Amino acid sequence: MHCGTRSLLAVAGLLMAGMAAWAHHSVQAEFDLNKPITLTGVVTKVEWINPHSYLYLDVKDDSGNLKHWAFEMAGPGALRRAGLSRADRGGLKSGDTITVNAVLAKDGTDSGLIKDVTLPDGRKFTIWTSDPNAR
Amino acid sequence: MKQRCINCCLSCVLAVLALCLCSARATAQGNQTTPRTADGHPDLSGLWIGRAGANFVPSDDPLAANLASRDATLLNFERDNAIMRRADPNKPLYKPEFWEKVQKLDQNGNTEDPSFGCMPGGVPRMGPPAKIVQTPKELIFLYVSPAAGGWGDTYRVIPTDGRSHTPLDDLDGTWKGESLGHWEGDTLVIDTIGFNDTSWLDITGYFHGENMHVIERMHRDGDTLTWQATVEDPDVLIKSWTMNARTLKRNPDPKAVLAESLPCVERDLSHLVTKEHH
Repeated sequence: MHCGTRSLLAVAGLLMAGMAAWAHHSVQAEFDLNKPITLTGVVTKVEWINPHSYLYLDVKDDSGNLKHWAFEMAGPGALRRAGLSRADRGGLKSGDTITVNAVLAKDGTDSGLIKDVTLPDGRKFTIWTSDPNAR
Repeated sequence: MKQRCINCCLSCVLAVLALCLCSARATAQGNQTTPRTADGHPDLSGLWIGRAGANFVPSDDPLAANLASRDATLLNFERDNAIMRRADPNKPLYKPEFWEKVQKLDQNGNTEDPSFGCMPGGVPRMGPPAKIVQTPKELIFLYVSPAAGGWGDTYRVIPTDGRSHTPLDDLDGTWKGESLGHWEGDTLVIDTIGFNDTSWLDITGYFHGENMHVIERMHRDGDTLTWQATVEDPDVLIKSWTMNARTLKRNPDPKAVLAESLPCVERDLSHLVTKEHH
């Protein structure tokens, strides 16, 4: 477990503080916090943008059809505090197979909000925790 | 002789008073660590974000305090935050004909708030700068995006050379307007006119008109910088509104730098299914 509790809590705090400070859209206006999903797929693109970075993943569904998923994600600063260094971010490059835990979007599209990512080497990085008091 | 004694006593009293005053002044100066420029003004130069080398700008907004969340849920966290913001008694007082508009903008903030779609915050919503460069005749203010803020890196160049404002009708209305600075004692006063009517004053639907006039006051005490803005907009407000003061701490790391903000590209608004917002 590369990502220690300390960095996890720090990220949670920063994410929450950031949300409160700037207060972009409400998380629950877009995502259903009670609908977790775990998906494994191939990274097709990572966008380091504000107000939220995005990770795109190609995932095969149960029928073998390829689905293009889009996940809202924290920015590079937050990932760095989660213990994911610049070198580590190579683990998020296109072509890598990763596993994400996320919550689903409410609008039924193939999108969600990432909670953690597991890299090909097995290291897991928690980007977001649903407990705002954990900071 | 009697008069001479009275004069003598008076002189003594005055001397003692003067001594006391000098002593008090010396004490104050002894505690005062605010550096000054060659022209005698407080030097506001520096990086006014809270931690060395960090690209995260900690909020000093009192309403952005990290609330403890009831039942430790994000749902409560967001809702409590929304309530806290709207429970703040310090509100701009709009003319009655605009009350409904403010409420509608607030209720539909997810789609109406210009900053949600990567538009600039504008003055005064952009708040105090992250870095100040002070020269004898102008101040350079540098801003970075707070956390997930969308407005990106931006700047203001504020002359302090005593010039007058351009006539309002000759100014194109902009997000940051035309800012001029002057010193009132040790307080920097920034006077800004020439706005568009697109930006908001805060997240809660607080719109403004093109004739808005903003007066910002900045005061440095040691390594603390206080910023407070007053908004005058007689077209829409009953009276001027002084926003909650913000307090910044100077970054003590001489090697700390401003981090580059990420470019802003909105991906989420088309996926929002409720009107809930902070």
